[in-house]
Amino acid sequence: MGPAHKGAQHRGTAGEPEVMVSALEGIGKERKKESSKKRSGSPVEGLLQPVKLSRAELYKEPTNEELNRLRETESLFHSSLLRLQVEELLKEVRLSEKKKERIDAFLQKVNQRIMRVPSTPETELTNQAWLRDGVRVPLHQVPYTVKGCFRFLPPAQVTVVGSYLLGTCIRPDINVDVALTMPREILQDKDGLNQRYFRKRALYLAHLAHHLSQDPLFGSVRFSYTNGCHLKPSLLLRPHGKDERLVTVRLHPCPPPDFFRPCRLLPSKNNVRTAWYQGQSPSGDGSPEPPTPHYNTWVLQDTALESHAQLLSTVLGSASGLKDGVALLKVWLRQRELDKGLGGFSGFLVSMLVAFLVSTHKIHTTMSGYQVLRSTLQFLASTDLTVNGISLCFSSDPFLPALADFHQAFPVVFLDSSGRLNLCADVTASTCHQVQHEARLSMVLLDSKADDGFQLLLMTPKPMVRAFDHILHLRPLSRLQAACHRLKLWPELQDHGGDYVSAALGPLTTLLEQGLGSRLHLLAHSRPPVSEWDISQDPPKHRDSGVLTLGLLLRPEGLTSVLELGPEADQPEAADFRQFWGSRSELRRFQDGAIREAVVWEAASMAQKRLIPHQVVTHLLTLHADIPDTCVHYTGGLLDALIQSLKETSSTGEEALAAAVRCYDDLSRLLWGLEGLPLTVSAVQGAHPVLRYTEVFPPTAVRPAYSFYEQLQERASLLPRPDKPCPAYVEPMTVVCHLEGSGQWPQDAEAIRRVRAAFQLRLAELLTQQHGLQCRATATHTDVLKDGFVFRIRVAYQREPQILREMRSPEGIISLRDTPASLCLERDTRQLPLLTSTLHGLQQQHPAFSGVARLAKRWVRAQLLGEELTDESLDLVAAALFLHPEPFTPPSSPQVGFLRFLFLISTFDWKNNPLIVNLNNELTAEEQVEIRSVFLATRTKLPVMVIITPQDRKSSVWTQGGPSPQTVFRPPLDMYDVLIHLSPRHIPRHRQAVDSPAASFCRGLLSEPGPSSLMPVLGYDPPQLYLAQLREAFGDLALFFYDQHGGKVIGVLWKPTSFQPQPLKASNTKGRMVVFQGGELVMVPNVEAILEDFAILGEGLVQAVEARSERWTV
Amino acid sequence: MVARGRKRAARESEKGILSPPGYSAIPIKFSEKQQSSHYLYVREHKVREGTKSSWPQKRTLFVLNVPPYCTEECLSRLLSPCGPVQSVELQEKPDLAESPKEPKSKFFHPKPVPVAYVVFQKPRGVSAALALKGPLLVSTESHPVKSGIHKWIRDYADSVPDPEALRVEVDTFMETYDEKMAEEEAKAKEEEGVPDEEGWVKVTRRGRRPVLPRTEAASLRVLEREKRKRARKELLNFYAWQHRETKMEHLAQLRKKFQEDKQRIELMRAQRKFRPY
Repeated sequence: MGPAHKGAQHRGTAGEPEVMVSALEGIGKERKKESSKKRSGSPVEGLLQPVKLSRAELYKEPTNEELNRLRETESLFHSSLLRLQVEELLKEVRLSEKKKERIDAFLQKVNQRIMRVPSTPETELTNQAWLRDGVRVPLHQVPYTVKGCFRFLPPAQVTVVGSYLLGTCIRPDINVDVALTMPREILQDKDGLNQRYFRKRALYLAHLAHHLSQDPLFGSVRFSYTNGCHLKPSLLLRPHGKDERLVTVRLHPCPPPDFFRPCRLLPSKNNVRTAWYQGQSPSGDGSPEPPTPHYNTWVLQDTALESHAQLLSTVLGSASGLKDGVALLKVWLRQRELDKGLGGFSGFLVSMLVAFLVSTHKIHTTMSGYQVLRSTLQFLASTDLTVNGISLCFSSDPFLPALADFHQAFPVVFLDSSGRLNLCADVTASTCHQVQHEARLSMVLLDSKADDGFQLLLMTPKPMVRAFDHILHLRPLSRLQAACHRLKLWPELQDHGGDYVSAALGPLTTLLEQGLGSRLHLLAHSRPPVSEWDISQDPPKHRDSGVLTLGLLLRPEGLTSVLELGPEADQPEAADFRQFWGSRSELRRFQDGAIREAVVWEAASMAQKRLIPHQVVTHLLTLHADIPDTCVHYTGGLLDALIQSLKETSSTGEEALAAAVRCYDDLSRLLWGLEGLPLTVSAVQGAHPVLRYTEVFPPTAVRPAYSFYEQLQERASLLPRPDKPCPAYVEPMTVVCHLEGSGQWPQDAEAIRRVRAAFQLRLAELLTQQHGLQCRATATHTDVLKDGFVFRIRVAYQREPQILREMRSPEGIISLRDTPASLCLERDTRQLPLLTSTLHGLQQQHPAFSGVARLAKRWVRAQLLGEELTDESLDLVAAALFLHPEPFTPPSSPQVGFLRFLFLISTFDWKNNPLIVNLNNELTAEEQVEIRSVFLATRTKLPVMVIITPQDRKSSVWTQGGPSPQTVFRPPLDMYDVLIHLSPRHIPRHRQAVDSPAASFCRGLLSEPGPSSLMPVLGYDPPQLYLAQLREAFGDLALFFYDQHGGKVIGVLWKPTSFQPQPLKASNTKGRMVVFQGGELVMVPNVEAILEDFAILGEGLVQAVEARSERWTV
Repeated sequence: MVARGRKRAARESEKGILSPPGYSAIPIKFSEKQQSSHYLYVREHKVREGTKSSWPQKRTLFVLNVPPYCTEECLSRLLSPCGPVQSVELQEKPDLAESPKEPKSKFFHPKPVPVAYVVFQKPRGVSAALALKGPLLVSTESHPVKSGIHKWIRDYADSVPDPEALRVEVDTFMETYDEKMAEEEAKAKEEEGVPDEEGWVKVTRRGRRPVLPRTEAASLRVLEREKRKRARKELLNFYAWQHRETKMEHLAQLRKKFQEDKQRIELMRAQRKFRPY
């Protein structure tokens, strides 16, 4: 990896969206104006074309090689695409031969330099005066006093161990691990005791560091911790000059073979004496010393470096498939952030796991990399290492400790070939469960045969913030020290050499897992990052390792209960329960007569219920670990405020939506039972976002104050008054009403419209007569006021779209052709209700859907892009997050869903992929393949964003109107040419604004909803009316952007193309004037007059028109 | 022609207002307060010999670039000083034919958008209008034109429908429609089974034995059925060459898939899609 690599990578990541934008613009241009060119089939840069192979190429005789390759692909890989992808990925992460040579040369030199480091005379361990200035011991020497002597001698042996030799190391971080065997003369008997070995190890490195740092060969000489273990520093060497980024050589001193007696280092043995650790004189009272399993393991790890390297090289050595598999597994782990830090599931661990699977014949050496990956994931998914440990040791030596002994000492057990060393000693149970969970998800993904499995499995990063529903940070970390004392973890502290973070981690996660119980699916914790520091500095303190982040994956079904049910009061477990929950536990009598201990959390709304884990976590941490809630930074409902309506600030609107839906259900029941309609109602379907739970601000029942309005008594309606602020915005909810089939309908489009109008009138009449509802009929719909909600019922005739499509050819044959009117009708009366009911169903499955969809819409509209991306397309994108969450699980909180929404729209390659939203799982895998190929063949005719649903397999109805490729990635809110400022007095939804105003105008509503006999003002939103007028008048000169949720500014962007001087033509004179330019008469927009028109058209609403750029001066 | 137009335009530019050749420009403002003005481009409505146009020759003024707040009444009022105005029609595009004869229903058709044809009662009105200097004012003290909030409130009030009027309209329409249909039916019945001059009898769907409807879908269905019937009779994988061909076909499919995949990989590589992090 060259020194320029990092830079190149940066360019790569930054360049990616750029590529997309320009690529998208490519299609956009083509789509927009050059339809003639499009047909001629000019190849577009970066766009997939359908493959055309000549007959001769397709049907030529196959060669043996080709047949072999095809057969191999079929048997060893999933598909040829996957095979190619895997090969490409390996090429990308593998080290090239050229770089290998350079690294080898560097290693040679390192070896020489190390051997040349001079020896020192023997001194006491505590006397460190011989160490030169400019280098500090890379170890916290607590307590400082240790008996023993130290001298430096050059290493007896320098060996390269680890992944570099095996060829399984992956870019971009190339590390070469070098084991330095310390000569026997340095060490004494009983060095394993009381950290003496580690002190010597640290001093050995310090002396080496001092001498090597003088050498011009090295660009940087720094210390770090081996796998994050605080007792085991290692020395990092990087070459000087342009190769600095190429490689990091890590030096690990290790004891001579057979120096430590393995039986002294079993997990049940103690090697750190309490008296020494606490700085007291040995008391000798005979109290048993606590075992120090972790300490022992760390010593053992050093002794086993070489044997592990040998084992791996014998197993992996000749099998290239295994090496590929290990490399893929490393990428897989890294994308999931599982491989770093103390207790991470490192690459070494995974290599050993593959070795284990080979030894148990679960993997064969001839398997391909993909198969190795798959088998390993399968094993990880099905085996719980916290219960059933595994061992590489197959000898039946009776003196070896049993697996059960290890299970007692460690949460996760995986023994190496000696049978004494637990490779997973530092891995916590929750990390192990996380790995298992990830493996399970990946297996499901691989089994689903999804087309983009590779992408999701190996190329999509899963940072905690997108993977977990709720995230909490513990900060500052020094609080954990107190927590350790509160939790009585002194033996663990002694074992971990004072590292209170890792000592407290296990008990804390267990505590929270127990407390969250049925609400929790998975609890994961971040591992402190492995720090590097300069040799002249002291090693970083435990508290400096940043924050501890915990991620909670919630179980949606568990989130609805506010009750923690305990045992019955007279049972012995009741005491435990009381002790666990402290003051929150109280005795309660339940309906079945039982008296039980129980904890009840206060949560009225769905939003609060979702945040009960927050209450649980803070309560338990304060109670049991002494961590006050000021140190717990919980992010679960950060974005809730954006979708809260003001009246009930605690709810995010789920309840209000449910109320509206209930009212709709009542209405549909009334419609079903309506008597006296010529045809009975056969179906009532909602078609409004409220009825699929995705309206950003759900409607509330309204009760208008009559004095605020003008009244139109004869039509029982209210009108807005010009002298008052504009009234509250009431949007009618569209409901489509299908009637039973009948042959009596006329067969002419105009006549059908009249008959429908007659139905609308009749419907209004009957609803008023039979149920006393206030109704208002128009030619196309009937507005019904019910319990303060207004519904807009549209009668639909099933055959009408068909009749609109009929065209009679000159020969008299009737053919069906889509027309704009038929498509529009089809969309409104068939597809929209279907979508609404499907998404309604989705909401029942995934309670967080509503929140995610609404946050997404809110965001898009706040970016002033609400007009371009239709409601329905955004709902479908949100639905895709739930239906196709891979590689994640379906979100259970709006926050994480929204973050994934942002990730999706920022990275999705709309140009070459349709977004398939498989509603109700109706599309089979074969159909999806078919859809993709149709998509590729017709790409240029399709809109920029293509969203496919089972009902809409080809045309992507909801994105037909936009967005234009320019707007999808336009940086928000920057350079609008003109800003039109609006007066809040006439913005009915002023209070929904992102920065909610403290006070707004009275909107003519009474505070309590009640029966009203007059129809409120419906759908009267001056900014929208104004926008419609602007778009109608100046739509071909400019684009208008507005946030319908209380935006106070309309952004105007002149269309550059329409500012080109145009030749004189009768059809394009709108808003232009004639000027004399370049010897010719041309037409240019009459900008001054148009700006004044903006103000005139919006008289009363517009406060100011601010022209911001001078771009329009032609 | 063009040269003449240019000259004329140049002449006008000396006066300060430019206009496209053949047109004259009339400045128009919303009210006194507006600083800069829009320009109406007007011309006498003329068509080449032989082209049908329902607008009366000589008396019709063709107006381009009508500002959005200008209504038909307002245009009529502004141009009335030139002579009595017979009618004003606002349209989306220049259109030779006069709009449909029957008056459009206000319940079923929204209003169109502006290019205007103004028909004067006398030809003199046109020439007077062409010479108009302006600036015309859309909204004056005596005839205020509503815009903004006031306009929207009025529009809203207008949009609250009168169910009775709607009912009456629907009823009358349906009556005439029913009459028309009954007439057609009667006519069809009369013709049924009666041979024409050459002796052909027209077969309709009202006959005793129903026939296939004459639609595209129906004919496609018939073709499809035929095809299926033929496919069923064919023997597959019977002869050796058929075997060979199926195998070859399979291979060709694999090759095609492979090529497609290679292309995708190529593209992904170009987009740096293989850099995992």
